[in-house]
Amino acid sequence: MVSLETDIGGLRLSHPTLMGSGCYGSGDEFAPFVDQTAIGAIVLKSVTRLPRLGNPTPRLVRTPAGMLNAIGLQNPGIDWYVERELPKYAGRACPLVGSVAGFSVDDYAYVCERLAADDAIAAVELNISCPNVASEGETFACDPALAAKVVKTARTTTDKPLIVKLSPNVTDIAAVAVEVESAGADALAVINTVRGMGIDVETWRPRLGNVTGGLSGPAIRPIAVLAVYEVARAVTIPIVGQGGIETVTDALEFFLAGAAAVAIGTANFTDPRTPERIANGLRDYLQQRGIASIREIVGKANVGLADAHEYEGDEG
Amino acid sequence: MPAIEYDSRVHVTRVADRRELAPGVILLGLEAPELVRATRPGQFVMAIPPAGESAATALGIYEAEGTRASLLFFITGKRTHELAELRVGEPLGLIGPLGNGFDLSSVPQRAAIVAGGVGIASVLLAAQALVRSGASVELLYGARTSELLVDAERFGEAGCELVLATDDGSRGRHGFVTELLGERPAPDLILACGPTPMLRAVGAIAAELGVPAQLSLEETFACGVGGCWGCVVPLARSSAQAPSFPPASRGGSDVVFARVCKEGPVFRSDELQW
Repeated sequence: MVSLETDIGGLRLSHPTLMGSGCYGSGDEFAPFVDQTAIGAIVLKSVTRLPRLGNPTPRLVRTPAGMLNAIGLQNPGIDWYVERELPKYAGRACPLVGSVAGFSVDDYAYVCERLAADDAIAAVELNISCPNVASEGETFACDPALAAKVVKTARTTTDKPLIVKLSPNVTDIAAVAVEVESAGADALAVINTVRGMGIDVETWRPRLGNVTGGLSGPAIRPIAVLAVYEVARAVTIPIVGQGGIETVTDALEFFLAGAAAVAIGTANFTDPRTPERIANGLRDYLQQRGIASIREIVGKANVGLADAHEYEGDEG
Repeated sequence: MPAIEYDSRVHVTRVADRRELAPGVILLGLEAPELVRATRPGQFVMAIPPAGESAATALGIYEAEGTRASLLFFITGKRTHELAELRVGEPLGLIGPLGNGFDLSSVPQRAAIVAGGVGIASVLLAAQALVRSGASVELLYGARTSELLVDAERFGEAGCELVLATDDGSRGRHGFVTELLGERPAPDLILACGPTPMLRAVGAIAAELGVPAQLSLEETFACGVGGCWGCVVPLARSSAQAPSFPPASRGGSDVVFARVCKEGPVFRSDELQW
């Protein structure tokens, strides 16, 4: 019997498959249609200090091998959320990870504290990388010092595992990861969506109400695999790899690059049975190779980064 | 030890019948007893593409009787093309029925159903239910050409009076189906499904006539079950369909964004703030 159990900075999971934030609501929405026992944890939709109406429409655009979204963190705000939403989530089959978004260091700390205090919440993800709320939301993940400050402050509010979600829209994601690790993060989520846009050539207008959006789906998978690979070389805390994972082969790439778990997002919109398929596939893969645990393959493809060969003997 | 078998609750249906009603218009009959039992008029399913290479597709449930349900759709892109390639006997995964459907709790004397193009796929069950409840039902049905006025006769058999329109005048009225609505004797209830400009026009005419209208909206869905908040439409906060949200968000707006897939796809026209 192979083991798919894993541990994300203190968050113990029966399966190394999380449902990515914003793609799976609270889990209740999918529950009537999907068996959820193959899900390691559900990362809830991000919540902010104050209620947010979200972005104007359209909020979704299909693209080749993926989609652009710009939802804009529509949510009822932390007060309402704690009073009216979280009570409904007690007694779920899999752990729930609360997700915090904010516009100041204070926001993050305040919402993190309120969320983490609730028994329904097993861990907290700090979404410092939402690309869809003007420029403010993502700023935190694009500035290593600011990212560290958010994490350090949030860290003081809870002992529950803190997962920090990083942005791919930076020059050096590993540098941000290092700062976030030293500030006290227990794990990293790598990556959030990649910024993008689409234009309607009939109307000459951007196709998203928010003008810009976040690209997800298989189109961004190679970007995400490299980000996990680079971050894994720079930090020792576990990584939740995410970005366009649809099949067991996709998931394996992330484990081999250095992820201790993976998160599924856009693939749920193709087939909500994706987590069960991936869990079954992982088990088969390990069994066929006589490997006892998924943990044994984490980072096994990491051979470093190549230097280009220089031409020799032609010094002119 | 055998691998754990997960118990998926996706309906795995079988294609029982496949007809091309017009070039690029497919009617897929499915053996789907559980779906039929649960379906109410105006609901939809998310059809999971068999090759798994594109996102699931929202399709109105056209027929639902006995053990058979059917889906009527136009081939418009990769996803519907994949579905159109299905052959009799092949499996098709569905989640649903989804959405709220039409509110037929109070029976009108005279109902008008306005359908534009592929909108016809979402109104047959409502037409049948209204006729059964004793209402006299008029189907105002418009399409680009006579060829694309698919399955109109089916509504005649169901007991509806047919009033047709085509953009090119090849059958019925030469013009938009909405022009017909303004000219006919006013009904007590209007149901409509079709392209957004048509629905807006229906809403405006209904307001002028003072007749309640229920509009079945079309939007791009990602999840189809209310999980992603991608398919929203502005709705009056006072609407019974408004999602539960704090009473006074910043700015004190009277509008909330409701999910077309979850709170809809059918909304009362006078509550939409679009």
